[in-house]
Amino acid sequence: MSGDADDERIFLQSRKVRWSILAAYWAVILLALPLWWTTTSIQRLSLPTSRVEDLSREDLRFPVDITLNPSTGVDVNALSVKLRGLINARLGPDVRSWLNVNVHPNPVPGTDSYVLDFDAGSQDSTVKERNLTLAGDGSSPSKAANLLIDLLTPRHTAANQQKIAKYSPRYRLAFSLLNENAALGKSALGWDLNDALSRYLFPTLQSLQLLHNFTIESQVQFHAPLAFDPTHLNDSAHGLTHEDLTVFVNSAEWSLSSSASNDPVLHFVLFVPSIPHRPLYLLDSEGTPMKSNAFILPQWGGIVIHNFSPDMTSNLHMTPEHLEGIFSAFRLQLFTLLGVPELPKGVLCLDDALPSRWQMDSLLRQRSLENVASTTETLHSIIKLVNQIENMPVKEDVKGDIQNALDTLELTYKSSNSAKSALEYSARALTLSSRAFFNPGMLALLYFPPEHTYAIYAPLFAPVSLPLLAPVVREFIAWRKAKRAKQKVE
Amino acid sequence: MSARWGWQVSTLVLFVSLWLLQALANGQTHHEQARDFFNKQGNGNHTNNWAVLVCASRYWFNYRHMANALGMYRTVKRLGIPDSNIILMLADDAACNNRNKFPGNVYANPGQGLDLYGDNIEVDYRGYEVTVENFIRLLTGRVDPSVPRTKRLLTDDRSNIFVYMTGHGGNEFLKFQDNEEISAFDIADAFEQMWQKKRYNEIFFMIDTCQATTMYSKFYSPNILATGSSQLGENSYSYENDRDLGISVIDTYTHYVLEYLEQINKTSQLTMQDLFDIHDPGKMRSTPGVRSNLFSRPLNKALLTDFFGGVSQAEVMAEEDIKSHVMSSIAEKVPRPGAGEKKTKALTPSAVKMVALQEPLSKGDGIPSATARAWTGAGLVGLLVAWVTISATR
Repeated sequence: MSGDADDERIFLQSRKVRWSILAAYWAVILLALPLWWTTTSIQRLSLPTSRVEDLSREDLRFPVDITLNPSTGVDVNALSVKLRGLINARLGPDVRSWLNVNVHPNPVPGTDSYVLDFDAGSQDSTVKERNLTLAGDGSSPSKAANLLIDLLTPRHTAANQQKIAKYSPRYRLAFSLLNENAALGKSALGWDLNDALSRYLFPTLQSLQLLHNFTIESQVQFHAPLAFDPTHLNDSAHGLTHEDLTVFVNSAEWSLSSSASNDPVLHFVLFVPSIPHRPLYLLDSEGTPMKSNAFILPQWGGIVIHNFSPDMTSNLHMTPEHLEGIFSAFRLQLFTLLGVPELPKGVLCLDDALPSRWQMDSLLRQRSLENVASTTETLHSIIKLVNQIENMPVKEDVKGDIQNALDTLELTYKSSNSAKSALEYSARALTLSSRAFFNPGMLALLYFPPEHTYAIYAPLFAPVSLPLLAPVVREFIAWRKAKRAKQKVE
Repeated sequence: MSARWGWQVSTLVLFVSLWLLQALANGQTHHEQARDFFNKQGNGNHTNNWAVLVCASRYWFNYRHMANALGMYRTVKRLGIPDSNIILMLADDAACNNRNKFPGNVYANPGQGLDLYGDNIEVDYRGYEVTVENFIRLLTGRVDPSVPRTKRLLTDDRSNIFVYMTGHGGNEFLKFQDNEEISAFDIADAFEQMWQKKRYNEIFFMIDTCQATTMYSKFYSPNILATGSSQLGENSYSYENDRDLGISVIDTYTHYVLEYLEQINKTSQLTMQDLFDIHDPGKMRSTPGVRSNLFSRPLNKALLTDFFGGVSQAEVMAEEDIKSHVMSSIAEKVPRPGAGEKKTKALTPSAVKMVALQEPLSKGDGIPSATARAWTGAGLVGLLVAWVTISATR
């Protein structure tokens, strides 16, 4: 460092120039830092966490108004008070959190309330539209209360609950006529599906359209072999044990639905056994044939096995008349899969087509509740995951979907006096929240362990940092030395 | 004097560690792995089965990895998972490779006994579509709206998923087509996202690669059973060479698993425990591992067909229910509970409203060590700078 004083005299070596060159380099680096920071960080918009919390604490509560028909000659005022007390006492607290039953002695204008009537001359209780006519003269409010509770909050058995398909605004119904082996003859080579559908299923689908949009597809297969051999019974008959039923669908060889859309599919299969396997029965646990020829695979669909009569001589085209029994099985399977509640024991429906208004209303309420629950759950999951996984981007569209879902959820709560619009809003909220969750832009960046990051950055930055840092230190030492020398001189 | 030096060095360290900090900030959450899981009763309550089979290698000399995946494909299909529920990711460059002496065929055994390629193979992600991003998108469901049904995992909370991966891997990573790699953290996070969205009931994760067990060591979501072919520091080896093809045709671990699965049928009652009992380090030339602490069922109660097979529930409908449902007759008798009248369970909001997972995250012990590593690195660079400066000034 002895040349320091000489260096000062050369322009290029003057301290000022050296320092300004150094400062220029550092200025570029420091100015570039914000750019580097913004380009490498992930856009993570803040989510409306507190609003999600607030909304999920709210309950969707359906008001239900029941009017007594005043023409019955019963003391309606006393009965309505009694019924209201009984119903509210018998509903569990968990049900009361979403159902608010009110019994009025006289019709309330402007509400579509349920009407309760009594018919002393009748044996059976009947429902028609939103009317319920009870057998008896109204002297037993306890029975009436129980029946109303059963109609308003139908119980699904645990087993039935498991069969219900997940709610979806759209379903594809795939009808398949499968001949085990049509080459052996005496098989069903075709079916009048359109006629059968419009006769037996469309009235039902029409009512269910409040909940779901249905697309229907169908096919006929002539060779749909089983993957196992049915149990041979004594009298040339064959049987399917319960174990066989669980593996009945030969998915490797039957192609049952097209992959045209992403909607969930419900399958309805009419299976015609080949001649050597006819008749084919379902067996109970003791191995004796059962009367029923239909079974259901939870959330998947229903299967009906159809044995043609032995005196059939040739191939057959199935007419709507042939299909009537089969389609009533399909319809019951559809009801089970979609979660349409059953009417309580001893109640008849006078409507033209099932499901009745009462069933529809309670299904709408049930599905709305489910949708609201899974919407809030999805929103919670998004917030939790975004907090948990720090390199998950949250962009404008995700935030927008979440906000729209919350708005729609609010509308659902507000429209709870109409089960139909509550369902529409809740379905929309569910779709929006799922879309937010599944937003392709939410894919978290891949994780790299810190070692990898060093390994990538170090070869680039370490060599660059050496010549940048070393002169700074050197200049500093030189400056200090110079200062000290000056002091000594003084 | 020395105190001043210390101060100088530490300012340098500060500068250098600026970029290190950014790198660290990205990685931290992944160490939050140890977490008590939400205890859901996994009681075999599934209604559908799915399989995701990934062969992460390409090129002819990785023939055996394709054979591994195709062998699994054949097995799950044979045991009843429909093609629509199997997502097969395969480079698919073995069967029609120029070097393949048996064009259009893939064999997993020397002697060309069983053709795995066959005429009914549905490869969903082929060739260059087999990427880490596609795999993560597939699992999390974050796919583009235009992606067809065959490339989607349309599962729900009643789905059991079998995930099989094979390829070249190492400690906590698996290579995808010699181009990129997926880390154990990525899969663990993907599974957590699936769990949060209720996209599975149970997952069975199986991986055949070197140091395979490290790949499932980071999982933290409930109801996952995992197994792998080899421990940390161990290689997984191929099983046998085919003299005609001049290449090894299958990996040892997969070979023995497939051999075992070959004996079961759709209604088999064999359990996961039975499968894990065949793990034999001597025979398999590596030590297979099992991780069951996230799995809520005892292994001897979990059937192999719960994951390898199709659905296992069916219910016969009562004849009178159907009869009563005949239409067009007014005042029809309407169905009674009939056969399903065993247990009634009121559908209450508490049953519908699922409790959201709200457990606080407990930080794993990964962070201190990572920080220490980062500071050591920064310190080293600082020392280097100091040394250069000093030697230059002298």
